[in-house]
Amino acid sequence: MSTSRIPETYIPYAERPDWADVTPIPQHDSLDPLVPIHYTPEYKDATDYFRGVVQAGERSERVLDLTEYIISLNPSHYSVWQYRYSTLIALKSDLAAELKLMNTIAAENLKSYQVWHHRRLLLTQLRSAEGELDFIAAALEEDKKNYHTWAYRQWVLAEFNDDEMWAGELGLIEKLLDKDVRNNSAWSHRFFIVWDSGIRKGEEDRETVTRRELAYTKEMISLAPNNASAWNYLRGVLERTATPLSSLEAFVAPYARAHSHISGFITPASNETEGVFIDLENPLPSESASLPCPLAIEFLADIWEEKGGEEGAKKASEYFASLAEKYDPMRKRYWEFRQKEAQAPHPVTVSA
Amino acid sequence: MEFQPTPTDGVETETSEMQFDTEQLISRLFEKSSFDLNSYKLNRTLHLNWLVRLCFQGFPSRYVSQDASQPWLLFWILQSFQTLGVAVDPTTKQRAIDTILANQHPSGGFGGGPGQLPHLLPTYAAVCSLAIVGRPGEGGGWDQIDRQKMYQWFLSLKQPDGSFIVCHDAEVDMRGCYCLLTVATLLDMLTPELVRGTRAFVSSCQTYEGGFSASSYPYFTSDAPNHLSSLLRSPRPSLGEAHGGYTFCAVASLLLLRAQKDEGKDVLDTKKLLRWAVGMQGQEIEGGGFRGRTNKLVDGCYSWWVGGLFALIDDLLGAGGAPLERLDHDSHSDGKEGDDSHEWQDFEDGLFNKQALQKFVLVSSQSTTGGLRDKPGKPADAYHTLYNLSGLSSAQHHVYRSAEQAAKLESQWVRSAPFIPTGKEATESDEGRNERRKRIWVDANSWTEDEVASRYVGGKENRVNATHPVFDLTMTTSRAITNYFYGQNVPIA
Repeated sequence: MSTSRIPETYIPYAERPDWADVTPIPQHDSLDPLVPIHYTPEYKDATDYFRGVVQAGERSERVLDLTEYIISLNPSHYSVWQYRYSTLIALKSDLAAELKLMNTIAAENLKSYQVWHHRRLLLTQLRSAEGELDFIAAALEEDKKNYHTWAYRQWVLAEFNDDEMWAGELGLIEKLLDKDVRNNSAWSHRFFIVWDSGIRKGEEDRETVTRRELAYTKEMISLAPNNASAWNYLRGVLERTATPLSSLEAFVAPYARAHSHISGFITPASNETEGVFIDLENPLPSESASLPCPLAIEFLADIWEEKGGEEGAKKASEYFASLAEKYDPMRKRYWEFRQKEAQAPHPVTVSA
Repeated sequence: MEFQPTPTDGVETETSEMQFDTEQLISRLFEKSSFDLNSYKLNRTLHLNWLVRLCFQGFPSRYVSQDASQPWLLFWILQSFQTLGVAVDPTTKQRAIDTILANQHPSGGFGGGPGQLPHLLPTYAAVCSLAIVGRPGEGGGWDQIDRQKMYQWFLSLKQPDGSFIVCHDAEVDMRGCYCLLTVATLLDMLTPELVRGTRAFVSSCQTYEGGFSASSYPYFTSDAPNHLSSLLRSPRPSLGEAHGGYTFCAVASLLLLRAQKDEGKDVLDTKKLLRWAVGMQGQEIEGGGFRGRTNKLVDGCYSWWVGGLFALIDDLLGAGGAPLERLDHDSHSDGKEGDDSHEWQDFEDGLFNKQALQKFVLVSSQSTTGGLRDKPGKPADAYHTLYNLSGLSSAQHHVYRSAEQAAKLESQWVRSAPFIPTGKEATESDEGRNERRKRIWVDANSWTEDEVASRYVGGKENRVNATHPVFDLTMTTSRAITNYFYGQNVPIA
């Protein structure tokens, strides 16, 4: 079963002697439905026979052939997938072989929910995820933000929970972010790996991990500051570690100004012969960065709102106003709402 | 017009290149448009003709991928008709009812087509279609829904963590949760038994970004290895990233669960949700449409999934009427309504840019050959047609849960025969059940359109009907079907 058994020349099921014992069932008997789909003769023929075998409750090798054929025509047919799966189980089929067959089908149908869920059912039965992460990584090469592929990878990691499997994840993420620092799926996966799934081997010292994550994110922001994915990650880290936003004020401030104002942040060294040094903890925006960055202005506004008091309210309000009027007018109403909130603070977390 | 491209900071990547191409495609259309907003027109007749053709002549064979979504095809078209203010003739209504009923599975629920297994997504599409075209009595569709069997099937999909699989041997998915809760609400089946633990599941899917994912990993289920729960500090990680469709479904689910006396105290971070949602609105060069995930492209369907989300967020903030004037959610969190005497003043109310979203739908989403689309260069389809129109509706109208309306409905409630699952011992007192059903019915029907607040880019002839922020049905429709199933006789305004 590891290779497809769809015959090269198609013969309708209705003309196959070995299917003569099955009574095909048409989709509708007398009804003239609205929104009809004008099926190809092959699809109509195969699904008529599928309804026939389901009606008869048949579980057999030829049912596996039939379901494979229909899936090749329509990978979203969840009833066919379900019947295939329960037939595999009923026949005590070789599920490892089925997984191999799926490697081909998945590669052609990355956007189908069913393709990924079928693998999940198989792995749950096999209790082995050998080679699975490599397979998924190859699929991600094809489609780097595929929702199902990423969710499936996270399921595999959580379900099998093997230190060796977790160990390679940061490397994969960094490879993907090196290619495209704006890949939000990769950033999300990073959050899943580092923060959301417990403490992995070698990551027990959380202060070190926090420092590493902040340093990495700052570096990615300095490379391309107008990248919401990186700022969202940064906020996520601070929230998860209960670190005040204001701890990053020195880092964020240069990003909220135009380039000509940044030089003031390069601190003269105490030893004059060494000239100036750059604060390695707080990398500056690259020369090609487009500044000021609205995401940094927002961050500063939030810092001042967090600080509170009269000065905090005033400064936050000024930053929100600059977003509303100048730097991000699309979200004018939201920034005005935030401005009002900063001036008369309310807790905004409510229970639904 | 001058449009500012999204800055790349000198770092070109696949994301920025696709973003650039999309900005070019969309801004070119805006450059061709007049500065005069009155010239922006909804091509109503063109879209109607296109929808009528799909409805009667059907879909060519390349739509075979929709074969397991047949009730959806009908729902997208029927609800588009409703949004465009078009009534369906009695003969067509009957054909629609018969088409839908052919998908009901003998063991309960609706499948994606005749003979297909029951699945939560087509069950929502089928029941909502019947809400639109159906009626009580023989052949009317409403009484032919087998609620007892559907309820048993719902229970069979329930997972120990409060989530639901969408179909036997299938995945857990937030869309399925929303579909189940909507159907159970409309049909008076939203029992405490059915939804115990569901709120905690939905809450577990809020991600660090603020939006919600498709599902989460239930470490504590009985079939997971025991050592895991002690190993993991954060026991229910979300699987997948924050996404517009799942976020709408999650937040709508939480609102549908609000009338339950839930055991959980799971907190939704509304501030983070709001920040994420406003961040999904594209810049002017992208036409002000919505994207579904950070750093992805705008797409017309998110006009509803994210644009429509704001009515729900306003409600969570306790500020359904006027976010700037009022934020006393403290009175809200204990289930009481504040007063809603506030007025909605100017065009730009709402926490997102409603004017920009209307422009986006009118300029970027309309196909010149009929129907609405993801973005220029993509063909129109029934799905994008409905969700662009629904998004347009949410940007034109102001719909909020009115305390006044709620009080009125509450006073009009009459005791009626409830749905009671067969073969189960009653876990609710008669009084408790009556109170619960009243809360659910009142909550579902107190959404009200503030008609003075409607604003139409391009003039009143672009008006589409207001839609229920949770169900995406017209409020007349959801009122009619809930009146029937909850045994209420309140006249429909």
